[in-house]
Amino acid sequence: MSLLELNKVKKIYQQGKIEVPALRGVDLEVEEGEFTTIFGPSGSGKTTLLNMIGCLDTPTEGEIRLNDKKVSDLSRKALAMIRRYNIGFVFQSYNLIPVLTAYENVEFAIRLTDHTSESQMKEKVLKMLAEVGLKGLESRRPNELSGGEKQRVAIARALVKKPKLILADEPTANLDSENAAGVVDIMRKMNKELNTTFIFSTHDPMVMKYANRYINLKDGMISADERRE
Amino acid sequence: MFSFKLGLKNLTRQKRRNVITIMVIAFAFFSYLLMDSLMNGMEEMSFENLKNYDTGNIQVTYPEYWEDREELPLENLIYLNQDMEESIKNTDGLLGMSPELRFKANLNNGIDEVAVQGMGISIEQYNQVFNTQNYVVEGSMFAPGESKAVIGVSLAELMDLKVNDYITLLVRTKDDTFNTIDVEIAGLVRAPNPMINNGIVFVPLDVAQQALNVGNAVSMLALKTVSGDEDTVTKALTDSFKNKNLDLKAYSWKESAASVIALSAAKKGGIGAILSIVLLIGMLGIINNVILSALERTEEIGMMKALGMREWEIVFVFMVEATGIGILGGLAGCLIGYAGVSGLVKYGFSIAYIGGDGSEFGIPILDRIYGAWNYPAFSFLFILGVVIAVLSSILPAYWAAKKDPVKAIYHR
Repeated sequence: MSLLELNKVKKIYQQGKIEVPALRGVDLEVEEGEFTTIFGPSGSGKTTLLNMIGCLDTPTEGEIRLNDKKVSDLSRKALAMIRRYNIGFVFQSYNLIPVLTAYENVEFAIRLTDHTSESQMKEKVLKMLAEVGLKGLESRRPNELSGGEKQRVAIARALVKKPKLILADEPTANLDSENAAGVVDIMRKMNKELNTTFIFSTHDPMVMKYANRYINLKDGMISADERRE
Repeated sequence: MFSFKLGLKNLTRQKRRNVITIMVIAFAFFSYLLMDSLMNGMEEMSFENLKNYDTGNIQVTYPEYWEDREELPLENLIYLNQDMEESIKNTDGLLGMSPELRFKANLNNGIDEVAVQGMGISIEQYNQVFNTQNYVVEGSMFAPGESKAVIGVSLAELMDLKVNDYITLLVRTKDDTFNTIDVEIAGLVRAPNPMINNGIVFVPLDVAQQALNVGNAVSMLALKTVSGDEDTVTKALTDSFKNKNLDLKAYSWKESAASVIALSAAKKGGIGAILSIVLLIGMLGIINNVILSALERTEEIGMMKALGMREWEIVFVFMVEATGIGILGGLAGCLIGYAGVSGLVKYGFSIAYIGGDGSEFGIPILDRIYGAWNYPAFSFLFILGVVIAVLSSILPAYWAAKKDPVKAIYHR
């Protein structure tokens, strides 16, 4: 059974009286544990597709199923609950909360889903920060971390609640090549260790080589879909 | 609880803006507390000055006289008899009784003439009811049996009079003929009630009665009671008069303080208006703060929504922050308000800053209004401020939380 299924998904944005199609009928199936990259030129619909998959937006037409549950026509509240328990996000600009430490930024995500004891929660957060190589930096605030470190916090935040799916929109776009490789290394490691499904968009060929599935998006449609071991 | 923690931590962001909002709220609270203290002080002082220098706690007279009392008529006067005096003196809670004969007069110093109110008093009884004797600044109150007068300092200055000068009071008798009262000034008084200082001439009761040809009649009886007992004593007197078939009626000082009471009612309206402005300032400050914060944190709101936070959870984060600002602003306002009110209670506010004395504004206060403590106002204002902070943050916070997650994340 696929983790994710998209059937003829279309998204049309209305700009005044003009209709702008962003996705023109996307069919896609993603299995659990895949490490998938979506690439394509700017405006090809990568971000729109990730937003649809991430339940941040709903399609104009078509159907999206996550864990065999139809999510494309759920209410805002229900979508929020799907995101809370099933999906993690990593953004290009990290989107960390500046007044919280690295530890608290990660804790913030787990508090929404996990109601175990304080000590167990602390253990999980510290373990996750250690997994992404941030041991010792737990009490630093985002302005005291480098770009690569910030993105690792964002990855830890996405992973700590053990979601089935992690979506990353250009996660390395703001990083130098060394940090970018480090971040993708961690994502790949988590993918292998936790069997978490990753779908990320990127322009960076160096990042793309880590993926085991390549989806090329062009003018809102999948023009190529390759798997590689 | 984490949302609560985040809301509190957010208070440390945009410090300058938060501090300005807190200061604005604090200043609004401070202004309100100061104004409230001043108004309450003015009310208390006005009432005390009325009771202690003008009306006593209770006035007894005929209803017909009471209606025309402003005209100082010589009709419907009280001819005191034993029955009357007994029914008054036997009333519980009475500390003193002063018969008064109030009349119109023209004060002549030999050169100029000015309209005044004459007041025939029995000095020993008057001193039991009123405090005027404590404010004689030159000379003294006249002694029993002396045919002398006491006038206010302001009137003396106006007429260029001093102690031991002779004055003539031109009066119209009960029979509508003219008569004069020629008396020596025994003392000058500067009482806290400016009405006493500006236009009243005290003369011995028997002198006034003789000059006005009214026999032993008086206009009214001013009574002193324990403060707060006025209503009980008034009722007891009214019952007693009724039982003895006397047409007299007892009036609490509140009934002769209509203008001051009206001023007090206007004060409540004014305080309400000030309170509304204060709360509006607080509301606008909080709304402005939440909207600006939401605009600055749009991507963060998007991230929260991506994490699966529900709208009310995001609203809660903003509400905690707004409540924190409300609490800090309220505390700061109450603290500086406490300092301000302390100053006002100790040093007062001189009416001279706005010109003249209180009589020019219809308030019986001579020169300085002292603030009064109104502790419930502090807690009331603080609680109301916090509630307003919470309520006024809801809509802008909800506006922020309702943002489309995609638009918020990508700040479109």
